[in-house]
Amino acid sequence: MRAFGYTVARDPAEAVRLAATTPGSTFVAGGTDLLNLMRDGAETHDHLVDVNRLDLGGITVGSGALRMGGAARMRQVAEHPGVRREFPMLSEALLASASPQIRTMASIGGNLLQRTRCGYFRDAASPCAKRVPGSGCPAITGQNRGHAILGGSEHCIATHPSDLAVALTALDATVRLLGPGGERAVPIAGFYLLPGSTPDRETAMRPGELITRVDVPRTALAGQSRYLKLRDRATFEFAVVSVAAALRTRGNVVRDVRLAFGGVGTRPWRDTRVEAALRGRPLTPQAIDEAGRILVRDAKPYEGNRFKVELVQRALVSVLGELGGLR
Amino acid sequence: MSGLVGQGVARVDGRAKVTGAARYAADQEVPGVLHGALVMSTIARGEVLEIDRRAALARPGVVAVHTHADMPRLNLPNFPYNRPFIPMQDTRVHHHGQPVAYVVAQTLEQAQEAAGLVKVRYRAEDPVARMADVLDEAFLPDDFRDRPNEYSRGDAAAALGQAAVRVDRTYSSPMQHHNPIEPHTTTAVWEDDGTLILYESTQGVVFARNTVQIAFGMPEGSVRVVSPYLGGGFGAKGPTYPHTLLTAAAARLCGRPVKLVLTRAQMYTSNGHRAEYRHHLRLGATRQGALTAVVSTSTAQVTRVDENVYNGGDSTVRLYACPNVHVRQLGVRLDLPTSSYMRSPETTAHFGLETAMDELSYELGIDPVELRIRNHTEVDQQPDPPVPYADKRLLECYRAAAEAFGWARRSPRPGTTRDGDEYVGWGMATETHTHTVIPSRARLTIGPDGRATLRAATQEIGTGTYTVLTQIVCEGLGMPLDQVTTLLGDTAYPDASLSAGSSTMPSVAAPAAEAAAKARNAVIALAVADPRSPLHGVPAEEVVARDGRLSAGGDRVDTYRAVMTRHGRSVEVTGDKRNSTPGHSFGAVFLEVRIQPRLGRLRVTRVVTAHDLGRVLNHRTARGQVIGGVMWGLGFALMEHTMVDPATARVVNPNLSTYLVPVCADAPSVEALFVDRPEPDAELAGIRGFGETPGTGVPAAIGNAIYHAIGRRLRDVPFTQDKLL
Repeated sequence: MRAFGYTVARDPAEAVRLAATTPGSTFVAGGTDLLNLMRDGAETHDHLVDVNRLDLGGITVGSGALRMGGAARMRQVAEHPGVRREFPMLSEALLASASPQIRTMASIGGNLLQRTRCGYFRDAASPCAKRVPGSGCPAITGQNRGHAILGGSEHCIATHPSDLAVALTALDATVRLLGPGGERAVPIAGFYLLPGSTPDRETAMRPGELITRVDVPRTALAGQSRYLKLRDRATFEFAVVSVAAALRTRGNVVRDVRLAFGGVGTRPWRDTRVEAALRGRPLTPQAIDEAGRILVRDAKPYEGNRFKVELVQRALVSVLGELGGLR
Repeated sequence: MSGLVGQGVARVDGRAKVTGAARYAADQEVPGVLHGALVMSTIARGEVLEIDRRAALARPGVVAVHTHADMPRLNLPNFPYNRPFIPMQDTRVHHHGQPVAYVVAQTLEQAQEAAGLVKVRYRAEDPVARMADVLDEAFLPDDFRDRPNEYSRGDAAAALGQAAVRVDRTYSSPMQHHNPIEPHTTTAVWEDDGTLILYESTQGVVFARNTVQIAFGMPEGSVRVVSPYLGGGFGAKGPTYPHTLLTAAAARLCGRPVKLVLTRAQMYTSNGHRAEYRHHLRLGATRQGALTAVVSTSTAQVTRVDENVYNGGDSTVRLYACPNVHVRQLGVRLDLPTSSYMRSPETTAHFGLETAMDELSYELGIDPVELRIRNHTEVDQQPDPPVPYADKRLLECYRAAAEAFGWARRSPRPGTTRDGDEYVGWGMATETHTHTVIPSRARLTIGPDGRATLRAATQEIGTGTYTVLTQIVCEGLGMPLDQVTTLLGDTAYPDASLSAGSSTMPSVAAPAAEAAAKARNAVIALAVADPRSPLHGVPAEEVVARDGRLSAGGDRVDTYRAVMTRHGRSVEVTGDKRNSTPGHSFGAVFLEVRIQPRLGRLRVTRVVTAHDLGRVLNHRTARGQVIGGVMWGLGFALMEHTMVDPATARVVNPNLSTYLVPVCADAPSVEALFVDRPEPDAELAGIRGFGETPGTGVPAAIGNAIYHAIGRRLRDVPFTQDKLL
């Protein structure tokens, strides 16, 4: 770990200005991922701008939307009564993340920007195109049990680790940013990028931008949602496969459905063709099976993660079956 | 006798540990200490061509960057130094994560930053990283620590050929790491007289002292190793490793104390591991279930430069009555670090044996408990001629645990017990492990204030050594707990046992009891000879010591404090009695799993154990050992797995974020029963080791329960959800 500078910003404008004018700087909130990345040499920064003092911690559930400040803590959002009632999937996704200690420290913005747990990325001495563009992806022929079956490229097959991002992807959230060029809003569907030949670029954020808020539309659908996370131990572990699902039915017919998947894609994975295959149809095991097959139609599994093709389909059956009262 | 031995006395060091008052090795404050940081090889095989230290040396606070060029040449010690080479003595790289440079700086941060700036150029050779790629190169290694890797009795091949029923299967387990929470650490302080003090996190201060003396060619007694507490060891701190020698060398070169704490990632290449293991096991039996043949061929990872097999299969040879046994422990050379003992070493092979016994029970249609009872033996079959076990109560363990678990209600057919969308499975296995005995001494001092202090150079590895030795001394002296202090983990005290191989209590309990008896008698002798004592003139054998009082009936009562105050000097005695022999502890584990096969979800929900460990010295700490053992077995069965990159032989998951161990939410309820023998024995003869026995049967019991739940036999750990789909 290299020595680095540290400044505490007093308001968002100052934070952005400091970041823009200090070479090699980045923002730090909870630091639960960033400091490990710096210790491991997976990221190097000359200067950290602390955003914990900014007034970005608010959580409000309005008539139209949930608004979460970028510096709100995972635990505060997870335990917020309005979130639990109106967005059960969000609360479940957060409570299924990390440990109580980390949830108490880690911010919403930081959660969305956490880096992959791929061992090759985290090992500074290993090739990794996400860390060193063009250096290749050893996971493709190496240890890839935790890696993606969807959205990969020859340069990177790492999964995005955030459960929250999967839930937000299902709920059509909007990420609000403040940067040197002013404020802007990015729909979550366009926020995370596929690796392609530039796996080092993970989001649509521009240099020096700060996540100030995340907005989630309040819909009847969001109120009937849940988050299923499958993993290798009971808590404190990233998803092997996860499903964020929201479902409304009339009779047995699917009125509306939103689905996003974790652990299987190089970004929080949503495929609207899967939802379209269910919408307007009776919710039957056959319909869910068909939707699942659409989801994995373009899957590219590797030696260690082949099982995810089957597991993610079964997870879909399980969560939709539960939401739709099929069992 | 106050009857303290056996009671569930709370840990005497508990308060110090939970309040932070306990000083672990890296907590020692040493004036003027410098900080070390290791630069590790990033290749697994090849040569160091060039080390560019300039950028590192230019950083503020950096005192030195040592390489093979300037490291003093050291003597290569034998085991317990657990490497066939000392790093930084030449340019050869034997495995990834081998020290190639040693940075010394004023602060830890400066040392770590500079370590990242050392540039090493290599000539790399292609490593062999995967056992599966070179299985055809398996060979029978030389004896290791006087233990041959081949054993045979009877004619196993012929008996197997003639057996009415056979099981022929292969079981496997991956590389695993110990992962004690406290990292390995060494602080080396050279004194003006040329002696060396090491503040070390070690399971064996005496082992470490001897190793360092040999490496540096120093006379006996010129090294002192101090290790009052350990934050876990599990075998990782039993042998001595290169970082200890390199830190002592660095401290000598710069003439200042140096402290080194390994990083978590460095602990995946610096302190041994459980080697990847494949176990081809063939059992032959009669239709009535009597074993007639056991043919066991295991293959473990060794290295290109050593062939040490650590995880032996004692239970395959000894546990069940069988006249024809042939065991071969093969090795396969890979470009990985040397492996080592890891709690509990015999689990690795035992997992295969206890799974195969379950498979045999289904082949025969005999209940798995009944099959084990039919193959029970009261003699140790390994020696020739066999030797009867003095007091083996394994049959009682089966009965007690089966009854508490409710085994009689089990429907034997797999896949028949459901609860909602979960399949319920019940499985069991025998537990056993070897314990050793190491010559030990303990010194007991009773001061003029009447307080007693026991000193012995064994360790508190976290299992309760301070507490149990204090109980033994209190009972022997007839003194309350708060009047006795036990001091451990310092070679300034009399040499005593390594805390490994379940050896601590069988080695140290008797010397402590002997010292307590001697000291009590010495103080009674002072009292009865002292005209000022109410006991003056009483025959010594009529004086009873209890709760700090010495009494001979009526008003003839004195106290330790009064006698010693009048005496004005200390009484000091030493115990060295060795009245335990190496042997085994036994037990049985029964457990329940609940599985949602659709999603591959599995929970272990209930565990009942019964153990025969001879006399239980403290029921609370013994129960702690069982809970810890069950959790180790759970990790072995369900998640632990060090992943090595097949191309580079680098560990891909060297951290507790991606190397999974069980968390509290994975923990089942554990009911721990003991087939105890609480008969008073003042000399504590025949004490057995216990630490490594619980947990040995858990991986097989989980696999057996999975089979019972869903009818699928898993033979390759960890049993992750993809294998349950």
